[in-house]
Amino acid sequence: MDLAEVEFLAEKEIVKIIPNFSLDKIYLIGGDLGPFNPGLPVDVPVWLALNLKQRQKCRIVPPEWMDTDKLEKIREQERKLDTFSPILSPYYMELTKLILNHAADNIPKADEIRTLVKDIWDTRIAKLRLSADSFISQQEAHARLDNLTLMEINTTRSFLLDSLNYMYKLHSNLQPGRTRDY
Amino acid sequence: MPCERKPMRYGHSEGHTDVCFDEDGKCIVTCGSDGDVRIWESLDDDDPKSINVGEKAYSVALKNGKLVTAVSNNTVQIHTFPEGDPDGILTRFTTNANHIAFNTSGSRVAAGSSDFLVKIVDVMDSSQQKTLRGHEAPVLSVAFDTSDEFLASSSCDGSVTVWSIESQTQVAQWKVLQKSSDVSNAKSLCRLAWQPLSGKLLAVPVDMTVQLYDRDTWTHISTLSDDLITQVVNVVVWSPCGKFLAAGTVGGNLLIWDADAKLCIERQKHEKGFTVCGMAWHPSGGRIAYTDTEGCLGLLEGVSSSSSSSSSTTQSTKAPARKETNDYDDLFDEDDDRVLDEGMSDSHSPVKKAIMDDDDDDDDLMPSTGRPRNRGAFLDDDSRDAGSVKLDKLPEDGSSFILPAVDPIVSRPIYDGPMPTPPQRSFQPGSTPVHLMHRFMMWNSVGIVRGYNDEQDNAIDVEFHDTAIHHAMHLTNTLGHTMVDLSQEAVLLACEGTDELASKIQCLHFSCWDTHKEWMVDLPQGEDVHALCLGQGWAAVATSALMVRLFSIGGVQKEIFSLPGAVVCMAGHGEQLLIVYHRGTGFDGDQALGVQLLQLGRKRRQVIHGEPLPLSRKSYLAWMGFTAEGTPCCIDSEGVVRMLNRTLGNTWTPVGNTRDTCKSKSDHCWVVGVHENPQQLRCIPCKGSRFPPTLPRPAVAILSFKLPYCQTTTEKGQMEEQYWRSMLFHNHYGFLSSSGYEIDNESQTRAEKEQQELLMKMFALSCKLEREFRCVELAEVMTHSVVTLAIRYASRSRRMALAQRLNELALEKANQLQEEQQQEEEEPAYQSVVQNSGFSHGYREYRGSDQMNSRQAQVESGCNDEEEVEEEYQPEEQMDAEESTDASRPRLNPFKKGAKSPERPSPKTVSRGGRANPFKVSVAGKSSGSPAGQPRTTNVLDSMTLSNRKPTALSGNSKQGKAPVLKPLAPKSKSKTQATLLQMSIPKGSIKKQVESQSAAETVKETLVATPPASTENTENSKPKTGFQLWLEENRKSILADNPDFEEMDVIKEGMGRFRALSAEERLIWTERAKGDSDPKKRKREEGKEMVENADADEGSVKKKKPLDTSAKLSAFAFNK
Repeated sequence: MDLAEVEFLAEKEIVKIIPNFSLDKIYLIGGDLGPFNPGLPVDVPVWLALNLKQRQKCRIVPPEWMDTDKLEKIREQERKLDTFSPILSPYYMELTKLILNHAADNIPKADEIRTLVKDIWDTRIAKLRLSADSFISQQEAHARLDNLTLMEINTTRSFLLDSLNYMYKLHSNLQPGRTRDY
Repeated sequence: MPCERKPMRYGHSEGHTDVCFDEDGKCIVTCGSDGDVRIWESLDDDDPKSINVGEKAYSVALKNGKLVTAVSNNTVQIHTFPEGDPDGILTRFTTNANHIAFNTSGSRVAAGSSDFLVKIVDVMDSSQQKTLRGHEAPVLSVAFDTSDEFLASSSCDGSVTVWSIESQTQVAQWKVLQKSSDVSNAKSLCRLAWQPLSGKLLAVPVDMTVQLYDRDTWTHISTLSDDLITQVVNVVVWSPCGKFLAAGTVGGNLLIWDADAKLCIERQKHEKGFTVCGMAWHPSGGRIAYTDTEGCLGLLEGVSSSSSSSSSTTQSTKAPARKETNDYDDLFDEDDDRVLDEGMSDSHSPVKKAIMDDDDDDDDLMPSTGRPRNRGAFLDDDSRDAGSVKLDKLPEDGSSFILPAVDPIVSRPIYDGPMPTPPQRSFQPGSTPVHLMHRFMMWNSVGIVRGYNDEQDNAIDVEFHDTAIHHAMHLTNTLGHTMVDLSQEAVLLACEGTDELASKIQCLHFSCWDTHKEWMVDLPQGEDVHALCLGQGWAAVATSALMVRLFSIGGVQKEIFSLPGAVVCMAGHGEQLLIVYHRGTGFDGDQALGVQLLQLGRKRRQVIHGEPLPLSRKSYLAWMGFTAEGTPCCIDSEGVVRMLNRTLGNTWTPVGNTRDTCKSKSDHCWVVGVHENPQQLRCIPCKGSRFPPTLPRPAVAILSFKLPYCQTTTEKGQMEEQYWRSMLFHNHYGFLSSSGYEIDNESQTRAEKEQQELLMKMFALSCKLEREFRCVELAEVMTHSVVTLAIRYASRSRRMALAQRLNELALEKANQLQEEQQQEEEEPAYQSVVQNSGFSHGYREYRGSDQMNSRQAQVESGCNDEEEVEEEYQPEEQMDAEESTDASRPRLNPFKKGAKSPERPSPKTVSRGGRANPFKVSVAGKSSGSPAGQPRTTNVLDSMTLSNRKPTALSGNSKQGKAPVLKPLAPKSKSKTQATLLQMSIPKGSIKKQVESQSAAETVKETLVATPPASTENTENSKPKTGFQLWLEENRKSILADNPDFEEMDVIKEGMGRFRALSAEERLIWTERAKGDSDPKKRKREEGKEMVENADADEGSVKKKKPLDTSAKLSAFAFNK
């Protein structure tokens, strides 16, 4: 899966926006949205929120987890634990990126949040690498990783699979060599 | 216990705090680890004054307008009080000071520091310092002797030392405390306290007890303890009279002892059990303020009354009740002062003010000490307003409390009746207090107006929720406007007058079409604007001269009229003006408000003539305005939302309480709007205050309404509540239609349906409970068609007696309906003239157009679907039901049209057409939410659908099939998708052509098919035919032939009679026919079709020119599946 595809999936997440226009319910394949009343929070998918934001038709209300206190707590927890801790949102990275890139003015302490999320991401990816490393070095057949997000799985998948393939190839190349020796 | 513990509130961030009262006890002053000193007018003060004194503040002391603080930069600073300007540094240490204390006269300050030193500094001349050396660890606390001779200090080295100030030597030392290395490790803060007045005793908290030492002999004379104390005592304070001693412990216990009797008279526990680290006794002795290490501030009320209960019983019983009033009064103290300054107040208010102050003191006074001080206060008052008669009584009142039985000086009558409440100050609903630097000047359904008034800027920001109304505006506020209202048309601003400048009204009329979008009006000298509001095309201003001035939105002065009292607030909506004013003086914390509601339309009248406005006990008005639908609504400070019930003689019905959702007592909801459809209470939840700050931008939350009905936990109560809420919240339909506004027919019928459903549920419930009388009661409010359902239910559940009674009821209702119908038929013209005020002519014309017909048909088909079920098994009833819908139909339509007139933009902005949506999942027959603003495009598409409809499609959908002759434009969801696809493949021009030819064809069709002109006929035919109807159609002519003078109703009646007379087989045949061939007209249509053929010919040619490409066909097929 492409990272862009993961982002695409993340855009289906629901966020609250405060529109500055009024519109009746809109009926889409994915479901009905609205009605939009100026000044009243309404739930919409991220793609619509960003689109409206770019046209300056709304303000985005930061999702509940996008809060420095909560993120800090998660970061501490993430650093303490060896395993992956349950994350606040399955699309935390994508949403942070999307929302902060397009609507940083609506998010209080945007920079701080960006740093925190990056920290969390880095910690988790480091853990992921570490576990991949031990997985390979200990020649395990299977491993179990909980609480990984889609984005995290996808960043590591291609690399991990490719390298496993190569290793397998190298391994199997070795064996015929050995048989030739016989 | 008469002593009352007030709920804690957050004062500072977590950490060490300290508290003291100012000298006259008006304010509580706290400091905390956030480095701020806060001055609280009362515990409920939501906006305490903050003075930043440093990074951290360790201790605070206040005397003679000097605020001394020990802060983290190792200094002891002075600030002026209450201004909070820095007034120099008193002294410095090498580390921070832990405790500071004033001497009795306030001339010297002692400070104990962590560098083992105690310094005594002259406040006036900080060079006059004395340093006391001798402690071997950080000093915890210092206390001056009353006669300024000695100073006591406690330290972490475990000692309590008494120093002679003059000689700077140790006089006595007791090693009674636990040793520790630092203040942070110390078990106790060990705040010492010297008995005031006599100064005989020094109280030292030692472990879990308080030890008292004699001043002259320096011997330990007694120990105060209590079983409740489980942890170390932190703080001790003496009451101002020196009789009582209060202590606060690490575990959060608060105790008060009678020092002479050594009796613990009061035990209280901190609500969360946090460590009490600061305590202060109110100068008059009535209350104790305390703070904890979590930064919270609390208050014990009525301490004196409990402590003096032995000496005066009368006082103790009265005190708690009075306390509440006092607190509430505090809230208005400031306002009252202003009223005084403005000089606009009636002669009562200064008196009231005096009463309040004195009343305050009286309760708090200690029997022994209070009197002289209090006398002083009275003298002060007397000199201020000599000549006030009432005031004379007050000292007596006071003294009677002070000396209840001992000294009965009853020379003049004593007044101890209810006390008047200071009148609430005028305000703009939806604004935060004027004194804030950054405030919301208005937040309503149109937008937000923010006011900034700081050093850099004095400006007003106007922001619209809907940017389609106007873009945001930034105004410099040179005139100092304090009041704003915002509507879809204009911004109205006003400022109060100053000595030189008159009070001004400024209006930014942004919807104006000429170039001058602004006007300004000066009020006559000495007249100030107190409240203002905007309506549709008008503005109203209430002034200090008890007058309301009306202006047109363009700036033309219109009517003026006088108000019976000072205005509290005003609100406008459409043509309605709502004014709340002071009807008189309220007592015991209640406000006496009156309300007027005026209609400023073409027909001007007063709807509410100054009736009293109901408020909760001891509350004041917090918000007043209209719901989005135009029903007056008010919210008081207790959070109770009341709405005007126009159907019950303009009474006010409580519809909810915003406080229900608040978790803590100091949380409130700041209301920004009320909506009836959907039922929404839009507000901003505020934590620990009554109003939100401007930053961070608050988010609107939506609360629901709940009528305070009994037993809402039971199913019955719930349904009753729901029913009456639904009834109440749909009153506005009646009001709107009677005043000629557009109404949302669909939601109205939905609401009615919901109400009937609820009734039916309640009916079923009472049936189950065998409450048959109740059943009949419920049936009485049902509509006729629902009663028939109820009858079926009753008979099915074998309650024949009930069914019988209901049957009678149903008959009665049917008769009533018929009568109404007849009356209407007699004078329909009259009605439409009256209600339409001249628009009826246009209405007729309009009605002829296809668009209107289709719209109407749509609405009707929506209704019909709902009724279909009943109709199937109740052929006779169906007639009546139909009649009832018909009866309401012609009444509704005129208003639809009325809304079209340009002078009356509809109050709702919701109905907005836009493009047709191919994805819309519409239930068959349900129109798309806005019947009034049906988009043109859909009509075009729908008509196309019709012309392109194939015979197969027709037979596939029987309901659709019968409709076309009379309902040529009825949209059907399936074919709609087809149409959009078609549209994609057809060039626009040809569509137009098609439409034209289509409409031409239709007119031909319409003329061909001989339809009776009556609209009632229209609606009847749109329903699925019953056997009877088929029969009637066949036989109508014969009936008419027999009785040529019959009207439609009579024909039906006669027909019914004849139909019944038919044999069963014959009837069966007809019903069979009705089922099998649901469309009798189909044949007719086919006949007609041939004739239409030529008209259709050109249409057909257009069709042929554009063969659909196969892919479009395929996708159309897919969509249809």
